[in-house]
Amino acid sequence: MIPNPLRDPRDRRLPRVPEPCALVVFGITGDLARKKLLPAVYDLANRGLLPTNFALLGFARRDWGNQDFAELARDAARNAARTPWREEVWERLAGNVRFVQGSFDDDNAFDQLAATLDELEGSHGIGGNAAFYLSIPPAMFPVVLKQMQRTRMAESTPDRWRRVVVEKPFGTDLASSRELNELVDSVFSAEDVFRIDHYLGKETVQNLMALRFANELFEPVWNGHHVDSVQITMAEDVGIGGRAGFYEKTGAARDVLQNHLLQLLALTAMEEPVEFSADEIRTEKLKVLRAVSLPEDLRTFAVRGQYEQGWLAGQRARGYRQEEGVEDTSTTETYAAVRLGVETRRWAGVPFYLRTGKRLPRRVTEIALVFKRAPHLPFADTDTEELGNNQLVVRVQPDEGVTLKFGSKVPGSVMEVRDVSMDFLYGEQFTETSPEAYERLLLDVLLGDATLFPRNAEVEASWAVIDPLEEFWSGSTPEPYRAGEWGPRAADDMLAAEGRRWRRP
Amino acid sequence: MTTLWDTTGSAVVKELAAQRRTGGAVLSGVALTLVVVADEARVVEAEEAATAAAEQHPCRILVVVRRQIDAPLPRLDAEVSIGGRLGPGEAVVMRMYGRLALHAESVVLPLLAADAPVVTWWHSDPPSQLTTDALAVIADRRITDSTVAADQLTALRTRAHDYAPGDTDLAWTRATGWRATLTSALDSVSGRRGDAVRVLGGRIEGDPGAATAQLLAGWVESRAGARLEVVQAARHTGPSGVDSVVLELDQDEEVRVHADRRGGAVISQPYRPDATVALPDRTFGDLLGEELRRLDPDEPYAEALEVTTGVSGLVDRAPLRAHVWVDPAQPDGPGSPVDTGSVEENSPHGEAPTVPPTSEGTDEVALSGEHDTPDPTAPESASAPEPAAEPGAVR
Repeated sequence: MIPNPLRDPRDRRLPRVPEPCALVVFGITGDLARKKLLPAVYDLANRGLLPTNFALLGFARRDWGNQDFAELARDAARNAARTPWREEVWERLAGNVRFVQGSFDDDNAFDQLAATLDELEGSHGIGGNAAFYLSIPPAMFPVVLKQMQRTRMAESTPDRWRRVVVEKPFGTDLASSRELNELVDSVFSAEDVFRIDHYLGKETVQNLMALRFANELFEPVWNGHHVDSVQITMAEDVGIGGRAGFYEKTGAARDVLQNHLLQLLALTAMEEPVEFSADEIRTEKLKVLRAVSLPEDLRTFAVRGQYEQGWLAGQRARGYRQEEGVEDTSTTETYAAVRLGVETRRWAGVPFYLRTGKRLPRRVTEIALVFKRAPHLPFADTDTEELGNNQLVVRVQPDEGVTLKFGSKVPGSVMEVRDVSMDFLYGEQFTETSPEAYERLLLDVLLGDATLFPRNAEVEASWAVIDPLEEFWSGSTPEPYRAGEWGPRAADDMLAAEGRRWRRP
Repeated sequence: MTTLWDTTGSAVVKELAAQRRTGGAVLSGVALTLVVVADEARVVEAEEAATAAAEQHPCRILVVVRRQIDAPLPRLDAEVSIGGRLGPGEAVVMRMYGRLALHAESVVLPLLAADAPVVTWWHSDPPSQLTTDALAVIADRRITDSTVAADQLTALRTRAHDYAPGDTDLAWTRATGWRATLTSALDSVSGRRGDAVRVLGGRIEGDPGAATAQLLAGWVESRAGARLEVVQAARHTGPSGVDSVVLELDQDEEVRVHADRRGGAVISQPYRPDATVALPDRTFGDLLGEELRRLDPDEPYAEALEVTTGVSGLVDRAPLRAHVWVDPAQPDGPGSPVDTGSVEENSPHGEAPTVPPTSEGTDEVALSGEHDTPDPTAPESASAPEPAAEPGAVR
């Protein structure tokens, strides 16, 4: 960045504001764009975090004028914005909104898009900088990327940057993700590709690094000497909604395990980066992902399930096979649990239990470090009957925060030790208006800060973990579980086989 | 919410603990204690601001209202609430009468959240020497507001003479939006040029008597070395006293940022169409929220204040302060470092501790009120008369 005399590193009141730029969204009429992207753009504008010269370009097949598009964008932003609605902020933003109509294989439409960008460069002073957000199905990537290559829209030069934002899924297995990475990297250079995993934009996930590396208290016990096992859970109470077409082909392991859960594992298990920079953090994460091992006995330690009808939160829920658009004989899993190992000196012998599922009793994501029992208890056996393992739980969502579970004496004349928990609630200590994940990640893309985005090598290393699982599962039928319970019995057996049990989040 | 009439500091501590126990799952985390010193006339405004700030930064709010120092009996009235009208956290509003007002810290100290930073905000005229108020001495960060003074520039100079790292002023906070806009305007010029920009001069159109306008000019000079004149604007300006800023750059270029008075600012720069950005007038709660975000010394403020007032050496001053006892009832009393008579003349803040010198707005309770008959079963009753006896006896 060019030095600015008014900037001062000590002056932390001034926000980080990107350079003048344009945001081009492919598939602007889609769900994600309407529910997340447009509101995030508005929230950024409302917080004064967008540059003085900023333009938003939508590209979609619908036959719309700028006016129609501005109207849709306004409604979308207004419905889902997190910051208070200020009409004047939107009006200002709307003045910089353009819509280009066309299909992805239409050369003319892309020529027009390129022309519109060039025009905005002059009229809106965006300086040629642009980020392209591919909010489209991966099958469309090749066409769109080819078009961008043809119109030379993707070229970063010393005078301007061009970046691309890709949403998960990043492929469906190692081979396809390699293909996808090669394709994207052939059009954009590797450092200009931003893969969004919105979990990494959450404050708590970033706080995990602060917790581990800014404190003296936790790191000394953050290893196999003291940690008995790690449980990483991402549970959803919802079903598949209207996404049967996508979900039938994907399943829980590809949808969640491959990206969110393995990224959380990487952040939990990684060594300290030598510097808090994008490259160093990604290097450490990659080392962990490459060290992940699968159990030999997959039959016991890799469980997948599918929800049957049941009751959830006081309402009857349909079974997966009864969902609209799902085959009666579908063998797609809606629940996946696996025991992984991390083959490093720090974690040798410590199992990492990962689980994710739909139609579980509540929506919760957390990382729990379960500690070993104290090597010696000087109390009578009856005194400590109710004492469990100490736990350190990082609650990613909801109620973001950290819980520490430890034994404490029950008040009274008898010595009796029982588990208690000490809660740190993020929202109690800090601002409740911390940016939403998309807002934060979008800002980082425009600023060119890649700290919170996985690199293609990480994506490939993750697929290397998932592929053998998928291979093992192929052809088998998932274990059934009732909607509204914590997964299939086999998942409980998986932990019981080693004398452990799942923590109820 | 509980209101305690004619009470003691320890009763307030107890009540707070009792409410915390019975409150159930109320907010328990506290990142800092916010002490608000307010005049009776402005206490509602101060409470609103503190509540808004507490939603962003959960804190314990202690509002101190000093009244009638010449009331015959010292007396403390307190309102204790958790998760009530004063935001999600714990809040105590205290009104202090008589000599107790000079010893407000004796009530406040036991109410501070353990080992958490303390921020004191004067939503009233702060003492010209902050050390004369013990509530400044216990604070890690001290927030004043020169904008409310009758003579804002004198107020700024007073703050500069008295400055210690950790001091800050809402007049400076009001400049943040302008500073961010000017900075990003320069970014956009240097982005176009592909090369750095130098600021050679310029001017601020607005109210030359406004502290924020002067601080903004001082900040540009401290960063870029270019002097900005503050000239009278034709239009009436908002609380910041800034209507537009013109920066003269090298290569004969100029950037102009102009408030559109509709919550935005128009940026005009060469070779680019005008752009509008959000630049709203901010509420006290918003300003206070920004202040609470960082609690470390604000060096850019110190440097801007140095340039604005011509007082040097601000950054290197010791951050620690010792309490200086000043008794307004004894103008030339022993130990008084300031001649209160002269303070009144050259300080816009009036005399040292901010206790109304006369009984203006006196109410009957304060004048002739008596302590409740001590309840022999209440353990704190033994200590109840203590504040009454202590000030006179010790000082």
